[in-house]
Amino acid sequence: MSEETPSAERVLLPTAGAARTWAAARELARPHRRLAIGAFAALAAATGVGLLTQPLLGHIVDLVAESRPPQALTVPAVALVLVAIAQGSGTALGLSLVSRLGESMLARLRERFVERALRLPLDQVERAGSGDLVARVTGDVSLVAEAVRTALPELARSLLTIVLTFGALAVLDWRFLLAALLAVPIQAHTARWYVRNAVPLYRRQRVADGVRQQRLLDAIGGASTVRAFRLEDEHARRVTRSSWSAVELTMRGVRLVLRFYSRLHLAEYTGLAAVLVAGFLLVRSGSASIGTATAAALYFHSLFAPVNSALVLLDDAQSAAASLARLVGVADRPSDEGPEASGVAAQAVRESGGLKEPAVTVRGVRHAYEAGRPVLRGVDLVVGHGERVALVGATGAGKTTLAKLIAGIHRPTAGSVQVSAPAGPGPAVVLVTQEVHVFAGPLAGDLRLARPDASDGDLREALARVDALTWVDALPEGLVTVVGDGGHRLTATQRQQVALARLILADPPVAVLDEATAEAGSAGARTLERAADRALAGRTALVVAHRLTQAATADRIVVMEGGRIVESGGHDELRAAGGRYAALWESWSDARSSTP
Amino acid sequence: MSGSGAGPIGAPGREVLLGAVRGQRRDVALGAVLGAAHQTGEALVPVLIGVVIDQAVAGGDAGALARGLAVLAVVYVGLSFGFRFGARAGERAAEQAAHTLRTRLVRRVLHPGGGAEQGRLPGALATIATEDAKRVGAVAMAVMAGTSALAGLLVGAVVLLRISVPLGLVVLLGTPLLLWLGHLLGKPLERRSEAERERAAYSSGVAADLVTGLRVLKGLGAEPAAVARYRRTSRDSLVATLRAARAEAAQNGVVLALTGCFIALVALTGGRLAAEGRISLGELVSALGLALFLLGPLEVFAWVNADLAQGRASARRVAEVLAAPPAVTAGGALPPRIVRGAVRLRGVAHGGLREVDLEVAPGELLGVAATDPADATALLRCLGRQADPGTGTVELDGVSLRELDPADVRAAVLVAEHEADLFEGTLRDNVAAAMPGDAPPGTLDRAMAAAGADEIARALPRGADTVVSERGRSLSGGQRQRVALARALAADRPVLVVHDPTTAVDAVTEARIAAGIRELRRGRTTILLTTSPALLAVTDRVILLHEGRVGDAATHADLVRRHPGYRAAVLS
Repeated sequence: MSEETPSAERVLLPTAGAARTWAAARELARPHRRLAIGAFAALAAATGVGLLTQPLLGHIVDLVAESRPPQALTVPAVALVLVAIAQGSGTALGLSLVSRLGESMLARLRERFVERALRLPLDQVERAGSGDLVARVTGDVSLVAEAVRTALPELARSLLTIVLTFGALAVLDWRFLLAALLAVPIQAHTARWYVRNAVPLYRRQRVADGVRQQRLLDAIGGASTVRAFRLEDEHARRVTRSSWSAVELTMRGVRLVLRFYSRLHLAEYTGLAAVLVAGFLLVRSGSASIGTATAAALYFHSLFAPVNSALVLLDDAQSAAASLARLVGVADRPSDEGPEASGVAAQAVRESGGLKEPAVTVRGVRHAYEAGRPVLRGVDLVVGHGERVALVGATGAGKTTLAKLIAGIHRPTAGSVQVSAPAGPGPAVVLVTQEVHVFAGPLAGDLRLARPDASDGDLREALARVDALTWVDALPEGLVTVVGDGGHRLTATQRQQVALARLILADPPVAVLDEATAEAGSAGARTLERAADRALAGRTALVVAHRLTQAATADRIVVMEGGRIVESGGHDELRAAGGRYAALWESWSDARSSTP
Repeated sequence: MSGSGAGPIGAPGREVLLGAVRGQRRDVALGAVLGAAHQTGEALVPVLIGVVIDQAVAGGDAGALARGLAVLAVVYVGLSFGFRFGARAGERAAEQAAHTLRTRLVRRVLHPGGGAEQGRLPGALATIATEDAKRVGAVAMAVMAGTSALAGLLVGAVVLLRISVPLGLVVLLGTPLLLWLGHLLGKPLERRSEAERERAAYSSGVAADLVTGLRVLKGLGAEPAAVARYRRTSRDSLVATLRAARAEAAQNGVVLALTGCFIALVALTGGRLAAEGRISLGELVSALGLALFLLGPLEVFAWVNADLAQGRASARRVAEVLAAPPAVTAGGALPPRIVRGAVRLRGVAHGGLREVDLEVAPGELLGVAATDPADATALLRCLGRQADPGTGTVELDGVSLRELDPADVRAAVLVAEHEADLFEGTLRDNVAAAMPGDAPPGTLDRAMAAAGADEIARALPRGADTVVSERGRSLSGGQRQRVALARALAADRPVLVVHDPTTAVDAVTEARIAAGIRELRRGRTTILLTTSPALLAVTDRVILLHEGRVGDAATHADLVRRHPGYRAAVLS
């Protein structure tokens, strides 16, 4: 079998252990205790009433056996109708309460999941592949939802039916109960055998589903690239292969489940034969009527369905529990887990005395994404309040990493990063990267992510400051035009302007710009440089610059190479020094002005 | 999401649904036959219970008890076998039908004509390809299960008719009535289930979008705002779900009550017949057992109904994607066998472009500097035939692109977009993705070197064999651009259009890449859409695209000298 596995270098996101998963489920249920009790009571009452059906039918048999007139049957028949109505309405109420309980818990869980997912450290998400996260957000949530919607109410009903039926059998005669219990060891053994085999299989199924989802997103999200390079067949094949691999695993699961049923049929036969033999013996010895024996046989027969569905629900419960564990694994991360958790450096302080310390203090910082491959090898940097510092250096010099550490996206492997800012609302530091994602939905909604309470006037003002208001007003529906995936397409420049407008709205004392003007090409770059200039006004700023014009206007230029700071000073000072910056400036201004 | 509001399934949806079942007819038929055997066995169990009670328990006959239990054992073996292999066939049909649809959906989305992703979030499309395909596939299983249940119902009815005609008639007339009532009750459920699915798809789309924008949220510290937004979506979804769940619970309750009343009717009728001596006591027990057994198939009908409702709603969504109109269609002309690489635009108007006339000689290295980035995008879309211009024509070797199959156009003309995605696989896999099979040895290395991607490979833990995760997200912006450029160069197409390939690359490397492109593409048509002077400096000729028209055309040096607008656009 060709099972598709994820890339070897992947480290999937955490999955919770069984005990922790249960504890999390109980925690989710806690605020709804009353609802849970009400739901249970309604279902128990409905099931209990329903169990009157068999004795009533047995009573009819006895009446016939005693050769009573046909009119005598009217009373039990009417009673059967009443039982049906009571059982129906009780079940409807109970099921609706159970759904409300389950769905409310589920909503809480998926919200907590998204909340924690958004606070996961970036490198962890990248190592796992965002397909993993997306699969959990879509596939696992939907699987648990399905279980909550169907398995949970069904399981509640089945378990109640089983327990109450055993009780009813004992009421008829304890020996009937004994006979019926003969089936239990077979069922228990079967269930144990099943769970033992199913758990690892489901785990592999989950992995295969994750791979399939990743391939689907690769193909669908990158459709434009796929078409340009005529890779349609290759990508269709990849999806087909991973989908087929998931199908094969599912079919292995199906075969396992069906073997499980075969064994349950054996248990059914054993129990039924035992109850019939018990009836035979009890009627012959005169300790039970034919009607009672009939009721007992009917009881046991009517147990097949709930026993089977309860045991099958083991199946759904297994896959739902696996999904739940994957959700809880992420949802359960403590919310205060250092800088990554909040997205803002833990060392970032906003307090009234914030101006006493320099705005940014970097001390002896080393960083490596992977052990043994250092990106930063000992960086010290102090940025004063209101100072604008440009980071310059060749690709791979460590500029972006330093920017991310200062912005608190990652925590340094060694050393410390401290950002201090005067007290005020909002984050102390904001990072605008070359990664410009425009969130799907109305443009105003995207901007309000930066400041949820911003008025339309605030939004327009921020857009005006980055020269974006003209085109925003020209959009079909202005500020509320749907943008992002599936909406109005924005150009690279426009998306960067949106990113800068978000920065203005978030209004942090310290801003880090990482190649924020690079994506648009030089035509848009001029617009963006002007916009960035305005967005940074009045802030302490760190700008990672490839375009040296941006560096030339900074208060100070810091040149990096091989993970270290090699030069630092003003534009003229560094040019005069004739070092690396001078050389870079020369090669750059050459390309800008001279012709070959 | 466009056009997916509540509504009837429509002919294309029905076609998808029927096609899914028809495609698996062998498994569905096998499953139905074996499932019917299983249901027959299940129907015989209560009959046998009646026989045992009548002949063994009431009569006190141990021999009859032994015979009855032996027959029961045989019936159990049969029903167990029928179930195991019948259900296996049904599940196989469901899984294979879903798999086939999934494959078709992906092929449609990737079709050279495009157009399927218009107006749909990638996350929502992925949900259609997984969840909706699964629900449509489940219809194959539902059809099989429904057929088997019907068989069980019929066996029960026949036995009942043989016991007594009036009793049999009560069952035969009563069950369709019950089914019809169940169907009637299921109708509103279908509408609600649809609304609920849309909500769920939307809310999972929102979640996926937020997760995709994780980096932006983190940079902004906007996670709390994003969480609040998702919570609102999730709450809306919860309200819709609870409405659907209440409707479903009510339907369950009513079906249960109706079924109970029906059994009371059977018991009363059978009891009277027995009291009058027209049927035996054992037959009464069998009849009652059968009436109880009939609950099973009836409940199967209930879930089959629900599955069909969901399947119909999903089939409509699947059909909408499959039937999405393509953005461009294939013309009748055959592509030139040997592409010379002459590209000509005549009076092209598209997006911001107005009357663009442009001629690129075979083998020329042309620079195009657009003052408005939107114009550059519009030009790219026309050159790669992602869209046809509103007016005017784009020609390759004198043939209008509109006459050609978009796939053939792209075999000759590669448009390497600025935001190209990388894919799962190693660095080498990515670069070699579109390399022709007959490419001379060393093509890959030359392309990597020209794009400056060799440097990246050297810096990675496993060189070119390092796995690029997450559509290239494990690489930096500049690294990703260079790998994407190397891929475009390695594809070795007669015409190559590259859009801003070096925006995230430092000045020193950019100059090297410019020289590399010039060297590697010597003699083949290449268009560089950029405002980077380092790149424009190596071109044979530069076109300035200003306000949607060709503003000027000359060498980079001449333009710099004579055109202030060009200087402003390129040398900032």
